[in-house]
Amino acid sequence: MEVQLDFVSSESLASKASVEKVAFILERIKKNVIVVLEEGLSPEEETELIEATMREIDAKDFHGIEFYRLDHRARTLRDKIASYISGRRPGLTIVGPTRMVEAIKKEPNYLSMLARGGGKKRRTSARGAGKSTKKARKRS
Amino acid sequence: MLDKLKKYYAKILRIFKRKKQIQLGFYGAVNAGKTTLANRISLDWLGKEVGTVSEIPHETRHVQKVENIVVKTNNGELKMNIVDMPGIATQVDYKHFRDYGLGDDDARERAKEATKGVIEAIKWLDNVDAVLVVMDSAEDPYTQVNVTIIGNLEARGIPTIIVANKIDLPESSPSSIENAFPQHVVVPISAATGENIDKLYEAIQEHLT
Repeated sequence: MEVQLDFVSSESLASKASVEKVAFILERIKKNVIVVLEEGLSPEEETELIEATMREIDAKDFHGIEFYRLDHRARTLRDKIASYISGRRPGLTIVGPTRMVEAIKKEPNYLSMLARGGGKKRRTSARGAGKSTKKARKRS
Repeated sequence: MLDKLKKYYAKILRIFKRKKQIQLGFYGAVNAGKTTLANRISLDWLGKEVGTVSEIPHETRHVQKVENIVVKTNNGELKMNIVDMPGIATQVDYKHFRDYGLGDDDARERAKEATKGVIEAIKWLDNVDAVLVVMDSAEDPYTQVNVTIIGNLEARGIPTIIVANKIDLPESSPSSIENAFPQHVVVPISAATGENIDKLYEAIQEHLT
């Protein structure tokens, strides 16, 4: 089994409502695709994702997800206003099916993901845009 | 945009609308010690337990509520209902329960109930006045489940205290929780032994009522 990663631009997510965004993610996850979003999901979207995941779990094929959000702190007032109006959270979100994603670990300034495809472990990393994780943590 | 305005309105209302009796929700990851804490509080003031505690994950699969608890502290009385929630998780694999000696059918049933419990706990976010987020201080606190819970409480403007539980364990590190969530009050306790429980009651009275 190979590992497929889909990178999704924030532009393609902009027109989607939260429900559509969650459905879009889960549809791919259930096909054993790891999804990397070019934005941070909002906390409400994250709980929607967890709820939808719980509804989809079945004993045979799908046992859930692993996901992690890496925030990018808006530094200027302009960035903050733009983020507020657009509803977009600058950052990165990685979501994968739990059967493939063995672990997602947060390191200073990057996320490290250990994925399993065909029994072999493959490591991939995503470096954060934020200056430091401490700042990102303060926003959480 | 309308949703955001509504949430800000709710936040402002909370400031002026102090309740005499609060509905206190217990949130956290699976096996953080939420039911142990709920039992401790309920035993202290009502003399009865809320629910069963076990090492098997997802022991609490339904919301458990205890009403009309009156806590007495140095600063007066505190009236509350406590609502013990099922642990929040992003995955539930029935095979995991077999490691604890459950048969196939029981494990599948437990998994099914666990998924429903997570949904129920999330729905209850709309019905609580204040929340204790219970974290296992012997584990890395910066998990996505904890971040998502805290993020939702902040977005909804729900007053929150983080309980750094299990300080009786030698590997416990409440300071890791304080560093991960510096914007919140963190109270280190052991729900199992009762250590520091009085400080938690005082913190609830000071920050959540």
